[in-house]
Amino acid sequence: MARESVTVLLFGPARQATGTGELAWPVSLGGIPAQTLLRELARRFPRLAPTLRVSRFVRNGRYLARLSTRLRPGDEFAVHPPYGGG
Amino acid sequence: MSVRLTGHPLSVSAAMRALSGRGLGGVVLFAGRVRPDLGPSGPVVALVYEIHEMPALRRLRELEGAARRRFGAERVVLWHRFGRLKVGEVSAIVGAACAHRAQAFAATRYLIEELKASVPIWKTERARPSRRPRPRPSRRVGRSAG
Repeated sequence: MARESVTVLLFGPARQATGTGELAWPVSLGGIPAQTLLRELARRFPRLAPTLRVSRFVRNGRYLARLSTRLRPGDEFAVHPPYGGG
Repeated sequence: MSVRLTGHPLSVSAAMRALSGRGLGGVVLFAGRVRPDLGPSGPVVALVYEIHEMPALRRLRELEGAARRRFGAERVVLWHRFGRLKVGEVSAIVGAACAHRAQAFAATRYLIEELKASVPIWKTERARPSRRPRPRPSRRVGRSAG
């Protein structure tokens, strides 16, 4: 089966926990539910798991209302830990 | 321009100019600066700010509109820097110009509190270098915007 990827953006504590700000996450052409991707991320980066529990998620610039939303190849999926501007 | 995300230094005098206008008797301006806190790795010498540009700009524009509706602010400044800022540098300027001071204070307080709580901006401390190994440099310090 052909595979494409979702671009995962990691900010602040999420970037610190993974050592990178951006990942190309392979998904099948049919996509993947956001909650599945999050489980896979936590498995690959155990230090990220606590941050994921307190984060919001953004798909293509819009906040995700449901973690069952399917992420498609080419989508941008951002992990937003609690904010800290100012 | 009242909403700005930039990698360049912020100017308080430019913000004052952006808040000027006939009949605007109350102007309040808040500037946030990098503090020399003592962090877990030693004295903080800089902060690195990251911004997720698109949702940050959208939220800042919502806040600008809310300040106009709720407090009658006629001019609003919501500026934030990204990248590495040394201690003492200005990280954010927030301000409002209204007919009277009470609304201007209330609007500015509302804007800075909402900016901190609801705009996708993150900061990471950089401590004074020690003998310990340095962390690997970040691949990305921020996302630019106009």
